[in-house]
Amino acid sequence: MTREVMRRKASDNVYLHKDFHGALSRGIEYIDQHYGPEAVREYLRQFASAFYAPLTAEINRRGLAAIKERIEHAYRTEQALVTTRLSPDELLVEVPACPAIAHMRSHGYAVARLWGETSRTVYETICAGTPFAVEVLEYDDATGRSRVRFYRRAA
Amino acid sequence: MIPCTEFIPAYSELFKFLEAKGGRPAVLDFWNYLSDNFLGNLEELIKQHGLRGCWMYWSRALNEEAADFTMELNEDETEFRITMHHCPSKGLLLKTKHITPYHDYCGHCDVLYRRIFDRLGYEHPVDRSQCDKARCSSVTRRKKSS
Repeated sequence: MTREVMRRKASDNVYLHKDFHGALSRGIEYIDQHYGPEAVREYLRQFASAFYAPLTAEINRRGLAAIKERIEHAYRTEQALVTTRLSPDELLVEVPACPAIAHMRSHGYAVARLWGETSRTVYETICAGTPFAVEVLEYDDATGRSRVRFYRRAA
Repeated sequence: MIPCTEFIPAYSELFKFLEAKGGRPAVLDFWNYLSDNFLGNLEELIKQHGLRGCWMYWSRALNEEAADFTMELNEDETEFRITMHHCPSKGLLLKTKHITPYHDYCGHCDVLYRRIFDRLGYEHPVDRSQCDKARCSSVTRRKKSS
């Protein structure tokens, strides 16, 4: 005899499982421990070049507005603050606190020492093959507070 | 930051990366590591509440993942069953046409959870025959003492 049943359809809920940040953090930590920090970057480059290929193509078509919209959407999804300032050749992104780090800390998940590479290496990979580059102006490991600048490469 | 809504492709690529580095044993070693270092909350819930702990754990996880599922706990709480009508993770990988999922993506679920169930004395048969359609089912019950 069945005592309790829960039936749910996908449309019953919003897709937002923040514990996934903790699993990715463990993955990064595992690679770091077993294969070293450069392997972490190699993995993130492999992921970003595959998954974000359409975004890279979009940047080539539409410029920095494409990555601005993607970043704003990501932080909106995570219910977190982000500020962007866009000009034709430059995009400044300011994040007061990384929502992934905030979630992991509040739930007792370990934050990988190279977590910042999920921004730095991923953004660099997305920009590879476009007229734009990126530099991380500021990054706080404890909170993920950051300032990132995308800019047009010198000709 | 990689948003949590884009974690699944990153996870799949992680398995591919590890397999390229160290073959299948590297992937299995990571799954065991993740089970031991990330799923402590599930293990604690089962220790405290028996199979109701599974109900509590997956009530949160599957709703947050917006899964299409049926979850059942039987009357005397000796059997816990999940029928995944459409897995959001495998479903996302199947519909994202510009990436190729890790060939045994669904294997991680079996390894991660079975490791805990084995340790706590539960059997956990999983039907993965329809994984290619993002469907699977599992039953968890106490192992019969020999």
